Amino acid sequence: MEGASKKGVLSHLCLLEVQARSRKTQPKQPSRVHELKAKAEALMRQREQLRAEVETHKNIKKLRASMDQQCRHEDEEEEGMDEDSENSNLLRLMARHTQLKDLLHAYDVIGGYNIIKTRQGKGLCVSIATAYEGVYFETYNLELDLKPTVRISRHDVPPFIPLNNLAEQSSMQTEVRTLLDPLSQHLNAFAGRKQQLQLVKELHKSVEVMESNVLCSFLVLMFSLPREKTALLCSLDYSDCTRCLPTRVHFECDDKELPNSPDWKKHRSLLMETPVHKALITMREMGNIL
Amino acid sequence: MMEEVSQEDMEEVEVLEAQIKHLQAEVSALKCQQQDNHRDITFHFRGEMQDAMLCMCGQRQGDKKEKEKVLSRLKEEVEEMEADLKLQTEMNGISLNSCTTKTLQSSDRKLVQQLCVSGHCSELVFQVEFQLSEVKEGSGCVRTISGLNVVVDASDLQNFNSFLSGVEESRDLLLLFRTLRTFSNRCDDRCRTFQHFQEKYPSVVSLPGGCSSEVVTLNHPELSGCLLLVRWSVDVSKEGGVSPKIELLAKIPERALQLFPSLPVGGASEAFQSLLRLLGPEAALESVIMAVGLSRDT
Repeated sequence: MEGASKKGVLSHLCLLEVQARSRKTQPKQPSRVHELKAKAEALMRQREQLRAEVETHKNIKKLRASMDQQCRHEDEEEEGMDEDSENSNLLRLMARHTQLKDLLHAYDVIGGYNIIKTRQGKGLCVSIATAYEGVYFETYNLELDLKPTVRISRHDVPPFIPLNNLAEQSSMQTEVRTLLDPLSQHLNAFAGRKQQLQLVKELHKSVEVMESNVLCSFLVLMFSLPREKTALLCSLDYSDCTRCLPTRVHFECDDKELPNSPDWKKHRSLLMETPVHKALITMREMGNIL
Repeated sequence: MMEEVSQEDMEEVEVLEAQIKHLQAEVSALKCQQQDNHRDITFHFRGEMQDAMLCMCGQRQGDKKEKEKVLSRLKEEVEEMEADLKLQTEMNGISLNSCTTKTLQSSDRKLVQQLCVSGHCSELVFQVEFQLSEVKEGSGCVRTISGLNVVVDASDLQNFNSFLSGVEESRDLLLLFRTLRTFSNRCDDRCRTFQHFQEKYPSVVSLPGGCSSEVVTLNHPELSGCLLLVRWSVDVSKEGGVSPKIELLAKIPERALQLFPSLPVGGASEAFQSLLRLLGPEAALESVIMAVGLSRDT
């Protein structure tokens, strides 16, 4: 019994040895070639993907350009497409998406009211943008209830803007814009007057702002006159709150005759017709103020 | 490397290495193009558009159902945007038919684009071009307009020209559109009123220049030499203030005036201004029309 099992183990061990030796001498897959092949394949896949992306971009751009052309000349929609394939549908859709995005952006930039309907049409959110001399300032927001009647439910319009009066004077029940347009006028004029005051403080340090109010509808400035070596008080009344220019300019000076001199008469008209920060530049250049 | 590399393998390695170099160059060039594309904000896609792009480039391998899902989601988004566009058009009273953008500069902090927007506001057709720059400052973003150029196609441009050049100088894009809309509304009011009266009193009222003109003539068919002219102009101040101005001019032949010396026709223009102040434009016009028509009705 012992002899037979020993023989079995030995022969098994021999078999294993032969197998192991044969594995060592088998030609191995040269791993360098394998590596390089894998790398090349990966690069090819990457190239194909990038080509597809660049090609798609090109096609969308082309489609978009032709769609823009159609819209500008208000042509009718293209009758049928060359290939009604899934891809061409998707491309068209993507081009239209870019077009819509640009148009909606344009509405925002030109001061559109950015209307959003809320609560299944029972409410409306409106944004009013303000800007002056090419710079955009605050955006004000209104929330309106539409049912049962049109009324303002929330807003962030400052209290010195006569919102309630404007609402009463408007026909907002039938046309919301009859409220929004005058409100936008008031808010933009306010933004303009506020910015003018800011610019006076920044650009004309030798001019002292004696008095101003939150609505920026009243301004008193003190000028130092280099020639006469005296001071002159200038009051600007902006009683029309829809405008950025004053309705009244008044000068006060110890020298009672000075405000009636030709130069100062010119300055009065200048201040009535030109934004104050610009008018002051001219006045300084003429040598009348510091 | 401990393994032996055969001669065949070495040749293959050379070929592969050359191929890889070539592919790397191609990929690098394509990546450059891709970066250029991404710099243009309009064609830098996010969200549903990015999914759609990946679909188009076959990254979502072959799954037809997946492609359909992407298509339908994008369609939904586009439909929402179409509805939004309709709403903005209606509520703003301005119809934009095209906006093309060109990205001039784009970085993390700053974006500068050249925009060209065209459309119409009732009968007024416009094209506006400008540069828009958006700079991140603190928690917010400062938006500025520069290089504003405006072209408006309107039948009576004289009223508009000084306003337009003023607006280009002040770069007040918002004022431009507010004024365009108000001006267009006043012109529409005029057109509607003229048309209404022409239909109601066809024998007396005529519109020699059509209903979008400034002038309407009133005359009695049996008194062909006597004419009353109503000029309704809509003036636009440099500040953007829109003011309608209505005046009455009488053209009565000398002989008729001689026959009726006490006729206060000379003061017709002033009298009309008082009438305007009392009754407002429509009612004032109507009374004059009825007077010219020698109508007995009141």
